[in-house]
Amino acid sequence: MSRRVYITGLGMISAIGNNVPESFLSLSQSKTGIGKINHLTTRYKDEFLAGEIKLSNEALADLVKDNNPALNRNSYIAMLAAKEAVINSGIDTNDGLRTGVISSTTVAGMGKTELYYKEMFEKDDHLNVLDTHDCGDSTERIADYLGNVDYVTTISTACSSAANAIMLGCRMIKHGQLDRVVVGGVDALSKFTFNGFNTLMILDREWCKPFDENRKGLNLGEGAAFVVIEGENTLNLRKGKALAEVVGYANANDAYHQTASSPEGYGATLAIQQALTMSGLTPSQIDYINMHGTGTPNNDLSESFATKAIFGNQVPKFSSTKAFTGHTLAAAASIEAVISVLSLQNSMIFPNLNFTTAIAETGLVPETTLVNTPLNTILSNSFGFGGNCSSLIFKKA
Amino acid sequence: MDTITSYAHIKHNQVSVNGEIIFQSYPSLSLPEFLSEAYKALGVSYPKFHKMDAQCKLGFLCTEFTLNGTSFLTENDITKTAIVLSNAASSLETDRVHQHSIDDKSNYFPSPAVFVYTLPNITIGELAIKHKITGENAFFVSEQFDAGLLVNYTETLIQSGTEASVMGWVEVDGTNFEAFIFLAEKQKYTNKNAIFKPLNKTSVITIYNQTIWTH
Repeated sequence: MSRRVYITGLGMISAIGNNVPESFLSLSQSKTGIGKINHLTTRYKDEFLAGEIKLSNEALADLVKDNNPALNRNSYIAMLAAKEAVINSGIDTNDGLRTGVISSTTVAGMGKTELYYKEMFEKDDHLNVLDTHDCGDSTERIADYLGNVDYVTTISTACSSAANAIMLGCRMIKHGQLDRVVVGGVDALSKFTFNGFNTLMILDREWCKPFDENRKGLNLGEGAAFVVIEGENTLNLRKGKALAEVVGYANANDAYHQTASSPEGYGATLAIQQALTMSGLTPSQIDYINMHGTGTPNNDLSESFATKAIFGNQVPKFSSTKAFTGHTLAAAASIEAVISVLSLQNSMIFPNLNFTTAIAETGLVPETTLVNTPLNTILSNSFGFGGNCSSLIFKKA
Repeated sequence: MDTITSYAHIKHNQVSVNGEIIFQSYPSLSLPEFLSEAYKALGVSYPKFHKMDAQCKLGFLCTEFTLNGTSFLTENDITKTAIVLSNAASSLETDRVHQHSIDDKSNYFPSPAVFVYTLPNITIGELAIKHKITGENAFFVSEQFDAGLLVNYTETLIQSGTEASVMGWVEVDGTNFEAFIFLAEKQKYTNKNAIFKPLNKTSVITIYNQTIWTH
């Protein structure tokens, strides 16, 4: 059993790049990936912006080198990001140690199901698509793609999903159930998601403006990100290199509303507080916060109040990177985990794009340009529908 | 020893609490009709109930029946009470309704009231909101009811500060439905209370199979 859990590999694909080096380049050049919709078939093509991965399904299939018709966009991007993380970490899934895959998704195979949905009532040609509909499918595909995986599970708790996947992975290592775990999340864009968020009236028609007084809502994005986490014992045994340590995590329920955060950010405050307690760090020891910061009026205000409740007048430097990637839902927390590790490694805070005016009630001002500063600890927040609030704390290894 | 202190099971248009059937309706009733009857039988007034999708209603009812007559919510710190649920169909039933509303060109209205429920963990949200339970929560989707998973997960939570947990299975898929909820509390075990069971996989399987359904 290991008491300490380290991140040893990163993998990511999103609107800002097809892999981690490309993503880092976009982040360090303040280049957003959000733009006009090109790949998703939707009546809102010209009405809304989105953070789309810049590859067609065919191009993704070529990258994965698998033309199995049962695969869909969700599984392609999950497989690519998970593979990148494994290669980056240098682990070998055939070395006899126990490897797990814990992935989160909310949309699963919906993108493909909705394409053939109406036809399915007329004829049976596409019923096999339904085999790939459920959330577990993309996780199984990742496991098959990586080979020799001992444990597979999928978590779906809306926009905090990937944070919960990371938490579960850490716990399984600490309890001696696995030696290392590929943890993260994936959500490809679908009409289903787009129409749903549109009816909730929380989409901005322009670029989202997290933490700005005049923010109007979020931009949806798509992506997949995975990190390899390992216990100290097996990491030392194979003389692997740690990129960061996961020192704190917590999950709490806001117990207020299904799709809105409580005005005072009660659940968020609990999650941050409990993650801090676990890490043994005081609030003043947090160097930077990667905020959930979706750009909706409700989230950013509530998260600001939670931040003030914990940090008082000494709020650390913070930003939301959602204006780079869009809100990638079940992938958001793992994308932001990868971004946080990049921040620790490169001593860089990536900016909160599109911000001009602080929210009147809280006056919090995020970092709006790239900041080069040594970073030792990062808090990353993710909050989901159903009141599901999770916070993670990463420490430089 | 960590303890299962109460449980309820809803299946075949019947409600069983701690192994005994306490409510049943005609087998011919549809799921919405049954849920409405069971809500009346429960005898609480909670207007939000009527806005929920079938899965949340089912989870809500089963949890209320489980909690009824217990001191679970007053004896445990609700900020350290977890909710760990699971099912096989995720939110498929509501996904279908939402998809229909997108497909219907003549009556195109993908309602936010439906979309909200296209996630399984929304079921947890309803329970959390009702009782202000703010502890850790997770919703697992597995092919079948996995007692071992739920027990292991809750034991892990209890080792890291959780004091109690609302756990179980809430499944709606077409006309098939089933809910099974049990309450776990840290330590508390005494063999003087016949309902109490030690929290382990064997007990969970035993109480899951305990009810003798009449139809």
